[in-house]
Formats: sequence, structure tokens, C-alpha cells
Amino acid sequence: MADLLALLPLIVTTAAAIVVMLVAGFSLFGREVMALLTTGLFMFCFFVQAATLVSMPFFPYQQTFGSMLAVSPFSGVAGLIILACGGFSALASQTYFGHNKGYVPEFYAMLLFAACGMLLLTMAAELITLFIALEIMSLAVYVLVGADRERLLRAEAVLKYLMLGAFSGGFFVMGAMFVYGGLGTTSFAGISRVLAESGLFTSPLATAGFLLILICFLFKIAAVPFHAWVVDVYDGAPLPVTGFMATAVKTAVFCALVNLLLTDGSLLSVWRDILWYLCVVTLFTGNLIALGQTNIKRMLAASGIVHSGYLLIAIISADVTGASRTVIGFYLAAYALATLGIFSALSTLSGNDEKRISFADFNGLAKVHPYSAAMITVFLLSMAGIPPTAGFMAKFYIITAAFSAGQLVLGVLGLISTILSIYYYVRLIAAMYFTTPEDDFAITGLALAPAGTAVLAVAVFGFSLYPLGW
Amino acid sequence: MSQPLLFYALSLLAIVGAVGLLMFKHPMNAAMSFAVTLIALAGLYGLLSATLVFAIQLIVYAGAIMSLILFIIMFLNIQPDDLPDESGYWYYLAGGAAALTPLALLLLYGINSLSVTSTPEAPPGFGTIKEVGVVLFTDWLLPFEIVSILLLVALVGAVVLAGKREGGND
Repeated sequence: MADLLALLPLIVTTAAAIVVMLVAGFSLFGREVMALLTTGLFMFCFFVQAATLVSMPFFPYQQTFGSMLAVSPFSGVAGLIILACGGFSALASQTYFGHNKGYVPEFYAMLLFAACGMLLLTMAAELITLFIALEIMSLAVYVLVGADRERLLRAEAVLKYLMLGAFSGGFFVMGAMFVYGGLGTTSFAGISRVLAESGLFTSPLATAGFLLILICFLFKIAAVPFHAWVVDVYDGAPLPVTGFMATAVKTAVFCALVNLLLTDGSLLSVWRDILWYLCVVTLFTGNLIALGQTNIKRMLAASGIVHSGYLLIAIISADVTGASRTVIGFYLAAYALATLGIFSALSTLSGNDEKRISFADFNGLAKVHPYSAAMITVFLLSMAGIPPTAGFMAKFYIITAAFSAGQLVLGVLGLISTILSIYYYVRLIAAMYFTTPEDDFAITGLALAPAGTAVLAVAVFGFSLYPLGW
Repeated sequence: MSQPLLFYALSLLAIVGAVGLLMFKHPMNAAMSFAVTLIALAGLYGLLSATLVFAIQLIVYAGAIMSLILFIIMFLNIQPDDLPDESGYWYYLAGGAAALTPLALLLLYGINSLSVTSTPEAPPGFGTIKEVGVVLFTDWLLPFEIVSILLLVALVGAVVLAGKREGGND
């Protein structure tokens, strides 16, 4: 019974997705009501997830369904972040589709289905279950990206994402097969048991398999050298979907990666050196790409690569205890708040058919919409890691964790990367505040996204006060 | 005694089919070549006494999915003029092969490390419908059930991406 209770958020989210799917199928409600319904359902799922998390303060690494799933506080927190991302994305979509084409009622069902796949992904403790969860999430996100068939940019984005995503899925399946061939099991617990007995390098087949699985994960989190898709796909997707992809997808995939790598200390110790180099390359390549962008969406996509790099720092300096999971969870939450906030603000301000999207389009925004400009500034400062925002605390925890784990060089490189990244974040702030407005920034229609943006802006400050118990 | 011979023959056939899939210029030829790979794979499953997978491979992959692919290709009615210009084809192929060689060598090394002699004989009833069903509905019940969500998402997604839209956007 406790097993089923731990799964309650997943069950509720799946049920919500099916309800929205049926409502969309019968065209019961209009565009506005669908957005409200979806937001409400996401909030309900969020509270179920929170209640599950609080009412079971001690999770003895519960094994459910023949150790295919495992619920831990970490997966619970990741679930909270994912569901919150879904809710705010639904709010932003309501505003976005007020002045953009391409709305289909099934959009909201896909948002919930994607969240359902992500929740499964955070709990998966077995490679085949993990793969199915990954595909549920990916399929739903492909549809979210490409639902608007009128625009070529969307078609290009969905084609690139679908093709490369299918390839990375193929790598994962092949890797899982090799791991099974080498170790005779696909469950995380079983893998760590076999590794504890014999060590990884006694089985070259399993080593090759883990390499293939790692490639799939690195593709999904857009780590260099598997980052080429991310800028075009994020640019081609509708703004709320880009926000959803940048936050929820990243949270779910990182949670699964951490669950796999930290099941057992030996698995991480084998990959630590490779991840170290990948992490450094990711940080600086991401910064270089972001420096050269003139389009805000593309800049945020490139900065997403950099944030994946910071999370990789946390993974590299992790040990098997819970503390490193806390740091990663905190960073994911802080990053999600700021990113969702800025995409929510852009959904409102971008205007008809995303016409305002480059840095120059936002010249002088502060003189016309001072509150919006102030909130965007807060989000950008949080992403750059300026105190007293949540982003600063998150970076602080990660760099401290790197130093205390003895990864001095990595910590210093992380700091240098932070300083570099300030340039492209502040560039937008400077454009908003220190130039004269050329545009009237007219916004049409009643909108819910500004409310979501305001909540997120407050949360960016509030969350930085959240004490991390270590 | 004929088993290794069969194995090599089927493997060769599968690889030839896969190479053909890459090499043929017209999609129809490529698809037919892919069918050869699928059927050869079915033979390999049969050699491993996986009878149910053998049947499913023939019926579902070589049968249903292949005919769907063929239908789509015929539906599109591709003429030689529609095919893309592939002048840099060999360079891309060579570059890709060179880039993947280290990975391929690693995988080969991994597979060679498997000890062939210690592989136990399959128990009686292995790979039959009953045995697979029992495993599927006991140990693997959860993955089996969540595949239904995956199929639902794929179904709704296909309708959204390809379905008919009525007039406006609201």
C-alpha cells in the first residue's frame, strides 16, 4: 500500500493527462479554459507530490514493482520541480497563444503526458523502464515543438530533434543491451551489486554499454560535443515549450542520470575523468556560443548548455551520500525558476508571431514596461549568479561542493565561466535600461503569464533563503 | 553442426541488407534491402530458440512495419528528380565511418570478451509464448503497462502532427 501511495503523483498526473486528452478530443472548452484547467491540474498534481513527499519523510529507498521504480526524496523534489514547470508553462501558453498561431487543444494534453513521462524518468531504477519513460517524455515534447505546422522554423526544429533524439534513443537501447550482456541485469540495484563484487573493468562489454548510455544522457542534457541540436531546436520551438524543455526535461534527465551514476560509488569513479573534461568543454563552448548570439531565445539555449556544465560539476564532485543530490536539486530548482520566469515574460512581450525576439527588439523596454523589465532583470541576474538571488546560492553551493570534494581546478573554472556568462546576461539588461524605446511594446489580450512571471520573480528571491541542510 | 554456418550466413545477409539500405539511391530499393535485414534477424532469433520473438519479427517487423514503409514510399510517388543531390555522399560516408571506428572497435572488443563456452543451454520451454508471457506479466509488468502510455502519446501525437485541422486556430 505504501508503494502505491508513493506512486500517487504519477497516477494522478497520468489520469490528469487522460482527462485533458478527452476534453481536447471532444472540444468541450475553448483555448482559455483549457489553459486554466491544465494549470489547475498541474497545481493539484504538485500538491499531491508535495503531500507524498512530506507525509513520508523517511524513504527507505522503496522498491516498487520488482525494483523497476524507486522513490526517494530526490526523485520527489525533481517531481515537484517538473510539475511546477508544467504549471507555469501552461500559464505562459495561455498568453502565448493569445497572440500567436498554432494552438491545438491537444497541446495541453501533451504537456501533461510529457510531465508523466518525466515523473517516471525520475523514479526509474531499471534501464528498460528508464528507456520507456525517456521515450514517453521525448515523444510528447516532439509534438509540443512541432504542433504548429504552418511555420517552417518549427518543422526544422522538430525534424532535427526527432532524428537526433531517435539516434540517441538507439544508443541507449544498445547500451542497455550491452550492460545486460556484461552484467546479467538491468536494474540499478543489481548493477551496483555486480559491480561491487567484480568491478566494472572486468566486463568490457558493460563498460562499452555504459559509454553508449552516457552518450544518450549527454545528448539529452546538451553537453558538448552532443549540443549541436539545442540552439536550433530551442529557437524553433514555441516560447512556452522552449521554457518547458529547458527546465523540466533537463530536471528529469539529470535526475535519472544522478540516480544511475550514484547508485554505486564505483560507477561514478570510472566516468569521473571523462566527465571532467566534458564538463570543462561544455562550460566554455556554451559560453562561446552564447556570446555570439543576437537572438534572446538562442542565447538562452546556449546558456542552457552552460548550466548543464554547472550541473556536471555537481555530479563530478558528488559522493554517494545525499548531500550532493541536495545541491543538484537546489540548482535545478533555482535554474528552473529563473528560466521559466524569463520565458514566461517573453511569452507576454514577444508580441504577434514572436516578432520581438532579438536583443535590439527590447531596447528601452524599461521606459515602457518598468515592472516587466525589472522582473526580466531579476531572472537574468539569477541566471548569471548575482546575489541575493536563488541562482547565486545555487552556484555557491555547487562551487563549494567542488572545492570540498577536492576539485579545485573545476571550481575555479566554474567561477571563470560565471564571470564570462555575466556579459551576455547583462547585455540584455543594458539594452532594456540604457537605450531609448523604438517600439511601443503593445500587448494584446488578457493574459495570465504576467501573474506567473511575478510569482516566479518573488520565488527567485524567496528560494535563495531556503536553507540547505548540510 | 550446421548452426555456425547458418549463423554466419544469416549475419552476412543482415549486414548486406543494412549496407544496401545505405547505398541504394531510390528509397524503394533501400526499403526492400532493409526487409532482407529484418528477415535475416528473424532467422538469428530462431537460432537462439527465441521462437516467439522469431514469429513477431516476421509478422510485425518484416510484415506489418515493412508494408507500412512501402505504402508511404509508394504514396509519395518519388521520381528520380525528387531525390536529393548526393554529390558529397562518399565523403560523408568516409567521414562518418572514420569517426565511428573507435566506437566500433570498442564494441567489438566488448563482444569478443564474452566467454562463449560458459553460455548455459536454454531451459526447456524457453522463448515460447507461455514462458515469455509469464515473465512479461510478473517481473516485467510495470514496463509492459507503461508502454501503453507511450502508445497513447504516440497516437495522440500522430493525430496532432498529421491530422486534419478545421479552419482557424481557436
